Amino acid sequence: MKTARSVIIIDKAADWIIRIGGIGVIVAVFGIMIFLAQVVVPLFTGASVEGSSAVKVAPGPRALMEVIDEYKVVSTSVDATGKVHAFHIATGTELEAPAFDLGGKEVSAFNRTLNGRDLAFGFTDGTLRLGTLKVGGVVVDNAQVPQGLKRLNDADFTDGKAIYTAISPEQMRVVSIAVELGEETQAAPAGTAIVAIDYRLGGTVERPTRSFITVDAAGIGRLSRTESRTNMLTGATTTTMTSSELPGLPANVHVHALLMTNNADQVYVAEETGNIYRYDTRSFAKPELAETVDLLPGDAAIGAIGFLIGEQSLVIGGSDGSVNVYFRLQRAEAKTSDGFQLVRAHTLEPHAGPVVAMDASQRGKLFVTADAGGDVWVRHSTSEQVVLKLAAKDAKIDTVALAPRENGVVAISADGQAHAWNIAVPHPETTLRTIFGKVWYEGYPEPDLTWQSSSGTDAFEPKLSLVPLIFGTLKATIYSLLFAIPIALGAAIYTSEFVHHRVRAVVKPTMELMASLPSVVLGFIAALILAPLVETWIAAIFCAFIVVPAGLFAGAYFWQLLPSNIALRYGGLPKFVLIFAALIATGFVAFALGPWFERIFFAGDLKAWSTGGHGDSAPFTAMLVFPFAFIVLFMSTQGMVGERFGHILRGENRTLAGLTDLGRWVVTLIAAGVLSYLAALALIIIGMDPRGGIVDTYVQRNTLVVGFAMGFAVIPIIYTISEDALNAVPEHLRAASLGCGATDWQTAIFVILPTAMSGVFSAIMVGMGRAVGETMIVVMAAGNTPLLEWNIFSGLRALSANIAVELPEAVRDSTLYRMLFLAALTLFVMTFAVNTFAELIRQRFRKRAAQL
Amino acid sequence: MGVINETARDNQAPVARGAAIRRTDMRARGEPALWVLGGALALGIAMIAGFLALVAWNGVMTFIPKPIDVVTEIDGTVTAGEPFREELFRPTAEALAALTPDWQQRIAAADGYASRTLYRTGNFDIYGEDFRWIPDFNVTKRERPANFLFVERLEWGPFVGSIKSVTIDGMERPINSLDDPGFVAAHRASRERWKQANAIEKDDIGAINHQLEAARLELRGVQLNSGRDSAEYRQAQERLEAAAAVQRANYDKLAAQVEELRRLNDGNTVTFVAVGGEEKTEEMAHLVRFYPANALSLGGKLSVYFSRWGEFLGDEPREANTEGGVLPAIFGTAAMTLLMVIAVAPFGVITALYLREYAKQGRLVSIVRISVNNLAGVPSIVYGVFGLGFFAYALGGSIDALFYPERLPNPTFGTGGLLWSALTLALLTVPVVIVATEEALAAVPRSMREGSIACGASKWQTIRSIVLPRAMPGIMTGIILAMARGAGEVAPLMLVGVVKLAPELPVDGLFPFVHLERSFMHLGFHIYDVGFQSRNAEAGKPMVFVTTMLLISLIFVMNVVAIVIRNRLRRKFVGSQF
Repeated sequence: MKTARSVIIIDKAADWIIRIGGIGVIVAVFGIMIFLAQVVVPLFTGASVEGSSAVKVAPGPRALMEVIDEYKVVSTSVDATGKVHAFHIATGTELEAPAFDLGGKEVSAFNRTLNGRDLAFGFTDGTLRLGTLKVGGVVVDNAQVPQGLKRLNDADFTDGKAIYTAISPEQMRVVSIAVELGEETQAAPAGTAIVAIDYRLGGTVERPTRSFITVDAAGIGRLSRTESRTNMLTGATTTTMTSSELPGLPANVHVHALLMTNNADQVYVAEETGNIYRYDTRSFAKPELAETVDLLPGDAAIGAIGFLIGEQSLVIGGSDGSVNVYFRLQRAEAKTSDGFQLVRAHTLEPHAGPVVAMDASQRGKLFVTADAGGDVWVRHSTSEQVVLKLAAKDAKIDTVALAPRENGVVAISADGQAHAWNIAVPHPETTLRTIFGKVWYEGYPEPDLTWQSSSGTDAFEPKLSLVPLIFGTLKATIYSLLFAIPIALGAAIYTSEFVHHRVRAVVKPTMELMASLPSVVLGFIAALILAPLVETWIAAIFCAFIVVPAGLFAGAYFWQLLPSNIALRYGGLPKFVLIFAALIATGFVAFALGPWFERIFFAGDLKAWSTGGHGDSAPFTAMLVFPFAFIVLFMSTQGMVGERFGHILRGENRTLAGLTDLGRWVVTLIAAGVLSYLAALALIIIGMDPRGGIVDTYVQRNTLVVGFAMGFAVIPIIYTISEDALNAVPEHLRAASLGCGATDWQTAIFVILPTAMSGVFSAIMVGMGRAVGETMIVVMAAGNTPLLEWNIFSGLRALSANIAVELPEAVRDSTLYRMLFLAALTLFVMTFAVNTFAELIRQRFRKRAAQL
Repeated sequence: MGVINETARDNQAPVARGAAIRRTDMRARGEPALWVLGGALALGIAMIAGFLALVAWNGVMTFIPKPIDVVTEIDGTVTAGEPFREELFRPTAEALAALTPDWQQRIAAADGYASRTLYRTGNFDIYGEDFRWIPDFNVTKRERPANFLFVERLEWGPFVGSIKSVTIDGMERPINSLDDPGFVAAHRASRERWKQANAIEKDDIGAINHQLEAARLELRGVQLNSGRDSAEYRQAQERLEAAAAVQRANYDKLAAQVEELRRLNDGNTVTFVAVGGEEKTEEMAHLVRFYPANALSLGGKLSVYFSRWGEFLGDEPREANTEGGVLPAIFGTAAMTLLMVIAVAPFGVITALYLREYAKQGRLVSIVRISVNNLAGVPSIVYGVFGLGFFAYALGGSIDALFYPERLPNPTFGTGGLLWSALTLALLTVPVVIVATEEALAAVPRSMREGSIACGASKWQTIRSIVLPRAMPGIMTGIILAMARGAGEVAPLMLVGVVKLAPELPVDGLFPFVHLERSFMHLGFHIYDVGFQSRNAEAGKPMVFVTTMLLISLIFVMNVVAIVIRNRLRRKFVGSQF
């Protein structure tokens, strides 16, 4: 008989579908890790050069400055005669550009703002003029575009003066150049050349200010500020001027550059040898020389100097090739008049030859330096890395410019060559070191681990260290496991070994029900119900940590006083009900004792006490030491007087034996109390005060609350898995142990638990995995402050919570977006590793249990 | 057992000295440690019981109408409101100093604690606050006047006060009681008209807007394909202009209808007066419900109670989600869970079939199995991150570029939505289904497979007719457990498509009827949002409790159903065993 064709076809089809589907799902699931990794990788791969070109532009006098427009279409440079040279970067086509009409005077000093818009020229006759150079793009409709444009490349056209770029079928963007030159001002005595200049515009629209600093050939520094005020009613403008001379400049000073900060409160006079005179110019009438420091020791001279964005960080490139970043920090040991000191924060990889030019980014801490050998390096100050090494072979570079969007570099050399590079530097601020190590951010007193991804201002630099987040995750996990493990394991052992199987059939599913509670519910209860309760009854909760175990112990010792037949008859469920009652009763006792407890242990006010200003920490330290003291004492007396007591305890009179045991417990308790208080005093003398460590300033949404809530989520997991492990220990082991005369307790502790140990351990690991990844509880109850402290009364920011809070707002493919993917990958790897480890242990346990 | 042996000996006193040494030492029982273990279990049970009791109590009690207290304080301030809750607090030193010696003594006797009551005063539009703490020591008089009403309205939260006058159809009418037939009828008619106007705005005008938008997109599509100057573009433009003109005419007609309904409603108003004498006139249409809180009979209370439940389960939220219903959230949760099951069930089962029936059982498969098992432990937020990056941005972005170019740069599938949420959760729960199905497959005896094959059935026939039916209970359990887990997850959804307020449901009467790209509301997220993001967390708290109770019951029911199905199917197959 032949098998029907359809059967064979269906069989084959099912075979294929299931194989492909099955393998597909498995691949897809593992694809998650690969996808996450693929998003993260660009953080570390750094930058790339997407193309470069070298074009010949007309040679002229040395270029003073160079600037690239926002769209990286035109490079514009200004030379010492005021002529403006502009060329199309991609093709090198020169554009006709208006020039600054300097009236034939010779420029002896020049400076510009970071964006290259505002310029200042100083002349040999002691005058100065301000100018603006506008290289801007506007979008126009095709109808407004003049006819007869010359095509430059696929997108760009020119009419000889401007570049036209097609951005849509209907519209074009026009990039053109315009210049403006201000009036001549006599800044130095006539005939004395100005050798260095800087200026800043500030103030408000109604009251604009212009702040100048000049140094003339005689070595005199002049500071002046003009403030224009327009009278609203009359429309008349009054201009006031404040000026003064900089004190303390040596007569024969050779100034290389002058730098003034954004709000003109600091002035740096940089001598060619690397000496920096830093002036505190908060008062323009009376500037003070705050600090004189030689930043380039030896005979090296300054090759290039400039601010990074924000004008707090100073980059100095020396003739020895060194490139370092300095900023002003408040230091106790500073020997300066204002308490600040220039500190070398970043030492960057030096160039082989003298540094000749630099330019800083307008949007981040990226900058570019060029050396005499034609090497052009793109660097990032905070991450201290050289992002890209570009080379314009043997070019004598005059100026170098970084495109505003950090996507291009143009270097112009003395022989009229322009080297242009298209670059992509998506994530210069991240390296493994900045993510996991300490980073020295601008204005921070020292390198630090910080997570602060956003802020209000443009000059803000995101601080993306994962360490505080990983720390937060671990802190939440550890505190919650400290709460969960004892309860879950105790409950599991009790359920598995000491209750009737019918009780177990009720209790276990109830505990498992807890596992299916949505964590958002736990988070809500923790944050809105539990947190205020804990805050009110914090002392009572600490009190409960003592009173509840003590009450249970006491209950047990009194139980021992019962005659054995009664104890046996009611040893099952009634005893458990009694335990339950003891728990509730002691809970109420703790609640009632709360205020009293607070007086004794926390000097009457926990919040004031925990910050360290109020009261004594010996009682609390003693409370922490107490369990250890008790265990040590109990164990040692077990050995020392054990034989004696054993004799009595084994005696025929059960009540007497119970009383003896009770007495022993009470004595041990008192002894342990005394011992732990002495130990606490000793600990405090050697400086181990828990305040400032595990207890400190109290906030409402704190780790204690998170510990409770997350413990609540973790307990059922640890409980179920470890109970299963305990239950899986073969029955014959139990029977053998009992048969040899061991009690239930001895069997459980010395036979069952060691056998099931690996299973129990793996339960703890699985619970830990859940705690690490738990999101909603930490989002809602942890306060989300990225701190690096163990204080149980403070909040935390966990990896998972951070992702949930920040990812919805992160721009796709931005550094923050990729960092959050890295956080997710970290979580994935952490939990996957923990779970795999647990699984391996569990398998070993299963194998062993099967062999027994 | 061990204990029994020992007690037997215990009872035969007196015993010889030698025997006594072998007697069980009291320490061997480990009684104190045992009590601590038992205490741990008791604590665990107490925690769950307490938790469930807390949620259930608050959930059930929330909708019960509470009385209104009118409280006069020492300084003469009069406050009216529902007593919300009481608590103990520590008055500041200044507050204490201002008290009478009698109160000072009483507070000192209570360790510095005094009690205070939180009143829900309502009238946010008048007083600028919803709630007020009043310490007991400030209270001089507490009354429950019968004429005070608790009014739930559409805006500004509840109003507490009494009726001053009623205007029906523009005429002021004297009203003797709240049951006045004219008043009741006018209120009902106003509410009906309001609902009707809303329905017109939402459904009919919504449909017109939808068509206008579709026309705009079609035109843009033509423009993208053939350019602006082409003949096709001009044709499409003319055609669509004509259609749009018709639509606009319809729109004007409907708008006029709405206008008429609103005009009619303008004539029906109630003027209330608050406890401080401030007056407030409200349109009847905006009064959802009002009742004399202190003069309510048991029947009246029950009717308010159930009407609130009805609104909660069957209406849309209002007042930034802190009042009204959660129907869209229930719908969103159900739709998302259903879609997730549609995705997870076949793939989970196929994978398990592959692992158990087709793959060569070796080291590799066991490694895969362990890994799949471990994926169940990977945090849900990681799946959310993956869902956002892969489904929404990568996959959705490509779909947009291919099929919806005319809508760009507005994303259609390129952002979070129902489909991506369901797929993300499917990925999250697929390990649960795989593990459960594998276990169920493994439990089918080998003899049955061999029997089937020996009878000449092909491998697929064996699987389909012998293995799968037998494994069905296990598979169903796995799927339902996956549903329960999926329904309770919130963290990944926050990244892939859940929103605080979705204007449109994912299913409606407009083509293509099911809109998988839309974002949706979810019960779990509702809890987070109302509890944490709303203007007044205190006002939202009761709502959160009810939502919590609903979500927990939903998950609890799913778990129970899983168990019941498993048991029933198991029983069904008991007879067929051979």
